[in-house]
Formats: sequence, C-alpha cells, structure tokens
Amino acid sequence: MTVPPLLTALDVDGAGAHPAAAALFGLAPADLVSGARLARAVRHAEHAGLTFVTFADAASPSVPGDPAQARLDAVTRAAFVARTTTAIGLVPEVPTTYPEPFHVATQLASLDLAASGRAGWLAAVTPGDAAPAAYGRAPVADLGREARDVVQVVRDLWDSWEDDAVIRDVATGRYVDRDRIHRVDFAGESFSVVGPLITPRPPQGQPVVLARAGDVAGPGRDGERLVDVVLVGGSGAAEARAAARAVVDGDPGARAVVEVQVVLHAAGRSGADRLAELDAGAAGPWAAGAALRHVGTPAGLVALLAELADDPAVAGVRLLAAELDADLPVLARDVLPALRADRRTAAPRGGATLRDHLGLTRPENRFAGAARATA
Amino acid sequence: MTTTDRTPDRAADADAAHPITRPDAQVHFGVFFQGVNHTTIWSDPESGSQTDFASFERVARTAERGLFDAFFLGEGLRLRESRGRLHDLDVVGRPDAITQLAALAAVTERIGLVATQNTTYNDPVDLARRLASLDVLSGGRAAWNVVTTDNAWTGENFRRGGYLDHARRYDRAEQVLATARRIWDAWPQGPDGRVARVEAHGDLVDVTIDPTTPRSPQGHPVIFQAGDSPQGRDFAARSADVIFSRHGSVLADALEFAADIRARAVAAGRPEDDVKVFPGTAIVVGDTPAEAEEKARWVARQQVTPATALHVVGTIWGEDLDGYDPDGPLPAHDPAVAELGGEGGSSTTGARTHEVAARWRALAEAEGLSIRDLVIRVSGERGFVGTPSAVADRLVQFVRTGAVDGFNLSPWLVPSGLDDVVDRVVPELQERGAYRTAYAGTTLREHLGLRAVARRAGTGAAGAREAALARV
Repeated sequence: MTVPPLLTALDVDGAGAHPAAAALFGLAPADLVSGARLARAVRHAEHAGLTFVTFADAASPSVPGDPAQARLDAVTRAAFVARTTTAIGLVPEVPTTYPEPFHVATQLASLDLAASGRAGWLAAVTPGDAAPAAYGRAPVADLGREARDVVQVVRDLWDSWEDDAVIRDVATGRYVDRDRIHRVDFAGESFSVVGPLITPRPPQGQPVVLARAGDVAGPGRDGERLVDVVLVGGSGAAEARAAARAVVDGDPGARAVVEVQVVLHAAGRSGADRLAELDAGAAGPWAAGAALRHVGTPAGLVALLAELADDPAVAGVRLLAAELDADLPVLARDVLPALRADRRTAAPRGGATLRDHLGLTRPENRFAGAARATA
Repeated sequence: MTTTDRTPDRAADADAAHPITRPDAQVHFGVFFQGVNHTTIWSDPESGSQTDFASFERVARTAERGLFDAFFLGEGLRLRESRGRLHDLDVVGRPDAITQLAALAAVTERIGLVATQNTTYNDPVDLARRLASLDVLSGGRAAWNVVTTDNAWTGENFRRGGYLDHARRYDRAEQVLATARRIWDAWPQGPDGRVARVEAHGDLVDVTIDPTTPRSPQGHPVIFQAGDSPQGRDFAARSADVIFSRHGSVLADALEFAADIRARAVAAGRPEDDVKVFPGTAIVVGDTPAEAEEKARWVARQQVTPATALHVVGTIWGEDLDGYDPDGPLPAHDPAVAELGGEGGSSTTGARTHEVAARWRALAEAEGLSIRDLVIRVSGERGFVGTPSAVADRLVQFVRTGAVDGFNLSPWLVPSGLDDVVDRVVPELQERGAYRTAYAGTTLREHLGLRAVARRAGTGAAGAREAALARV
C-alpha cells in the first residue's frame, strides 16, 4: 500500500464518551476531573502511539444539576498536559458560537507555544438555548455562518504577527519590527475585530483546525480552506468511506477523519454486555449520532480500522471510547500494536508538530509583506 | 509610569522610629512576570526569550525553589500604541495567562498561579469556569487578579465592543466577581447533592448557568486586586483577598497605604487583616553597598534607554521627540494636549500633562537632569538596594511594622532575574526566622494565610451583599 499511515485519535473527556460512564465511574466528581487522572490518561494515549487526543467540551451539562457531569474547560485541560507529553497532538473542543474569538485565538496560540507546535482546535457549534442564556445574549440563528466568521478571524489573528516580527535590535532599541505586525480589521456578520493578536505567531503558524462535517459554512475569504480536518461518520463503514471521499473530492487538501464509537470486549466481559449495562445506567441508549460504532472484540476493531486505513480517502479515525478506564487499555494492548505491525499506523515522533503528523505544510503568512499594523 | 521620587533610602533612620507591631510576621514573596513594559531588560545578552515556555518555567521553578507564595502573569488585550503606532521599544506580546499557568501547573508542585483577567471584556461564565479549571487542575493553587478597562480602543477586539463607561467599570467588576463566586459555590457539599443553577440578572451581567466545575481544595481561586484609585481600593476592601499595590519601597508610604486599606476593610464589615497587602517592588543586591548601588544604576539605565526616555517624555508632551537629545534638556515649550486619553493602552491615561511637565521641569532644573536622567528619576520606586543582609533587614522591618504582608517582585531579567533573591536574600530571611523553610500547606490560600472560604451566598453580611449584587 502507498496509503499514508492512519491517524489515530482518542477523546479523553472524563470517564469516557458514554453518557453513563461518569455515573458508573465510582469516584467523586473532583477525582474524575483531577489533573493526576488527566495526565495519566493522556500519557497512556501517548504511549499507545495515538496521533492526537481531543478534549470534548460544552459549557452546559447534558443533565443539569448532576455532579457526574463534572467537566473542566478544554483548553485549560490541554495546556495542563502540554508539558507532561512530548509527541501526541492536543486538540481541545472550543465552541465558535458565543465565546470571544479574540480570546479563542489567544488561548489556542498560547497552547501551541506551550506544546511546542502540537495544538489543534476542534471548532464546534453550540445549538440550543442554554448557551445564550449563560452568555446573556440572543441565540445565534445561523450557526454555520458564525462558525465561518470565527474560524476566519482566528486564522487572520494567528497570522497578525509575522514569524520574524521580534527583532531585538539593540542598536535602535526596538524589540519588534512594527512593519511585521498587522491589524486584521475583520468585519463579520455579527462582530468585528481590529487586532493584532497579543500573542506572537504560534510555532505551527496556524494550529490545525478540525470540525464536524457541515458545522463550519465554508469556504473562507477568497476561497481559503477554513477546516483542515473534517470529522465524518456514517451508519456503516461503506457510508463513512463515502463521506470521507466526498470531503477529499470537494477539497483534495483537506483530511477526512472517521468517528468511531467503541465498546470493546474487556476484562472478561463482552462489548455487548458492557454496552447494555451502560445504557441501563443512562436515560436511554447511547446515541450513535454521526459516528460509526464498534461493539465487540479487539480483532473486529482491527479489521474495521484496517478497512478504513486502506481507503485513500480516509486519513484517520477518532475513537470515542465508551469508558476510558476499560477501553483504553485494550486499545493500547490489542488494537494499536496490530495496526502498527501491519504498518497501517505510526506512532507520533517527539519533536514533530501536529501538522507534520497530519501531512500538512506550515502555511505562509497571509500578511507577509503587506502594509504595517498601524499606519 | 508613576511619578514617585526614586530617592535612595535616606529615610531609613527616620523609619527606625516606626514600632514593631507584628514581631512574628513572616516575609512572603510573589513574582510578577512583567512582560510588556520597560521594567524587563530584553537587550542584555543574559536576557532569554520572552515568548518560549522555557523562560516562564525557569522563573516559576526558581520562585518555587525559593518557597514563594505565587507566580503572577499580567494581561493586556490590545498591543500598546503610541500616537497611532505600535509601541516597539519594550517587550511586545505574551501568552494567555490561564493557558500558560495551566501548563506551568503540571511542572510545579506548590507555588500559587495568579492570572490577571479583565472583567470588562470577558464573559463571567467563561472566566469563572476557566479559573475554576485551573484551580482544580493545580490542586488549589489558582488566583485571579481582577482588572478593568474603560476604553473603547481595547473593546475594538471584542464582540461587545467598548460599551462600558469609566464610572461603571467597577460596577461590572463587582457583578462579574459576585457571579463567579456563586458559580464556584454551586457545587454540592455532600455526596448526594445537586449542582445549583445560578441566575444573575444585574444591569451589567445576565447569566443563567448550570455549572460543571467542582470546587478545588482551596474552595475558590484567591482574588487579587491591583487598582490604586479610591474606587479600586474600596473594591479590594469589599471583595479581594490580596491587594497588589505600588506602595512597597518607602516605609512611611507603605504604612499609610496599609492603614487606609485596613480602615476600608473594617468599613466593609471585614476583620482589618482580611485583605493582604502585597506591593510590587524590586530587589538589587551586591556584595557591598557600593556595588549594589552601582548595579541599581546600571539596571535603571538599561531599563530607560535613550529611545525609551524620549518616548516617556514624548507621551506627556503628546509629540514625537525623536529629534531631541536624550542627554539634553526637556522641550522648552509646553505640552500641546492638556489631558491624555485612553488610546494606546498607556498607564498615563488621564494624566494632566501641564502639571506633570511643570513638575518635571522644576525637578530637572533643581538637580540638573537630562531627559534620560529625569525619566530614570521619576520611573517609579527603585525598590530595595543593598547587601543581602541589609535588604533582608529592611524587608523584615516592612513586614513587622505592619506596612505589608509580602512583596510581589519584578525581576528585570528573564529568566535569570530571580536567582539573586532566591540564593542570597531568602537564606538571610530564614536566618532571621522571618521566612518559611518549607511550604506548610498545599494551596495558595494556605501559603498566604487566608481564612478558608465560607459558603458566601446568604451567609454573613458580605455574603448577603454579594448575593444581592449578583441578583439585582
């Protein structure tokens, strides 16, 4: 095969991706979200050879009032493990709908600095009434358009400093060359941002932007690609591969990553039994949403991932493990080594950037050579 | 830019008259990673990257080795400008404070982590959640330095824009802080409780949220406040745990400030020692008094370069003084503009330029100062200069006369600027029984000697007032 290695990602939120995982976790909420547990899970994922981890987030809980819904801010979590890891990519989910785009740009640039070029951004949208009530704002009607404007201005802001803006010229006493720092003067449908960013351009130039298919109305200004990695799914492998094909047919430079819910045979219990117990602990069965689902043996998951790996349209998979403590050890022991032995996956290299692992080049700066920030 | 005299400690003899009121008081240190102003000397060969994580980590680890209470990051939400052009003479650019502190939390064990965060251009639900996240991940070491902004110029980077009037910036700050505290209090105390919904509908805050962040071992992030105006002092006296002042190098001035804060705290219904006083200052040590003085002069001249001197005077005069000789006299004419606006992010906002110019001219003529000499002379207090032993004696005197509870030190070199304090001054303080020899607690609240967080909403006068503030 000449297909590049399959990218493997894992979400590391809380007790796991199943809504009842936290309730069955058996520890206090403060322990569920502790720094020690988080660092352990991400280190385990790095040792298992995963390409990147994602940090699911939402400002509002799915079950209001339930302490089992404990969850910390995703960028803060990702930053906490920036220096406890050296190779794995760190991709927090940050909504585009209500937060301030200027803060989002600063936070993600800062994460990329702390993680030496391993940051990504899962740009999400927030439907519903809970978030506008939390922010005291009117609900955003067009989520896709708002997401487009936010991703656009965040990308503009990341480029607002040229890479060589800091000159430290002792002779003239100038720390920066002000001609290499630029206002962005962005005016979107619902907000405007002048810039420049308060943080220098991050190591990757632009951290990697991920989004679920259809969330970000694109393309950006002048046809710019706003989303580097598109998350797709389907009711089965064939449908997911077709969705991936549609992504790369529309934009050969984009990467398609298939989302897969996973409940594995673990600790002597079948995946089906485990899922039944989890579903019984939740308000209803685990919704598949857009994701594929594998409930069963590690060998079965290896076969599914091999099929996806062999399709040139599929760049990677994001695994949504029902229970991290049960499923991650099985992934690390029985699934990922088998794929690596077949050269279908490769562990990330220390010192490389997330862009390197995704085969994305470091982008040129859109403002390089343009008029200076403040005329 | 302050206009305090940079007078050496000639008043030391007079200071001996102040009585020791707290004979067992201990010196506490924090470190303020300054970044974007001319305190930080970036031009020296020993100066490292101002952006790389390694620089921040080195300073934080040095401070932790020196058993400091806290590591402190500032914030600015728009790059500083000067007459419409980016200010390029000082360090420019810095990371987001909470993000950077979260990364530092994983490579430190005990030191407190203070994030400066603006209440004008942040949403209360975001602030409360991100600060609580840092607090939980660090095991109870987070603090929030509450600041405000009143200019529309900064607001041009934000959805909400520059909507807030100067007079209302502390109103919003109090409503945001009260809302954040209710969000932190929403978590149930018992194992079977529910998370309370928080509704705050003030005229400047509108929030309905089901919080998701558990409480950390210290209950709430510690609250710092850095405003020096009467409004800022009252805000600190009502709502802060620590006030970060500029009154920390001249004993009489520091005593007066501390007395004022205590009086305001009592008036707000709190015990008089409830607000800890942590002024910003600097320490310069040498093997002999003469060597320390020489080093202090060198630091001042590195901080105030010829270009910086012309910039500082040009800010008051409202014009570009590039053609002037920094070693020559002040401009002969008067400033063109009477009062400085908020554009540019300068700390001189609101300065009455003719008064400042007249004062500077008188000082320059009396002492025969050039532009650069004058700027060095008026560039804030120079802090503590002397042998490690002499500096330690002075620091102990400040703490034991009740003038301060601790000092927030600004190193002029990054990342090595704290080494002298940790290696030479801390041991002197420890010999005097005036500095901890190990961390006794694990949380910042414990390091600072603050009382535990009560469940505020509905308990006590302060709690009732906060609840009312957040409900209006």
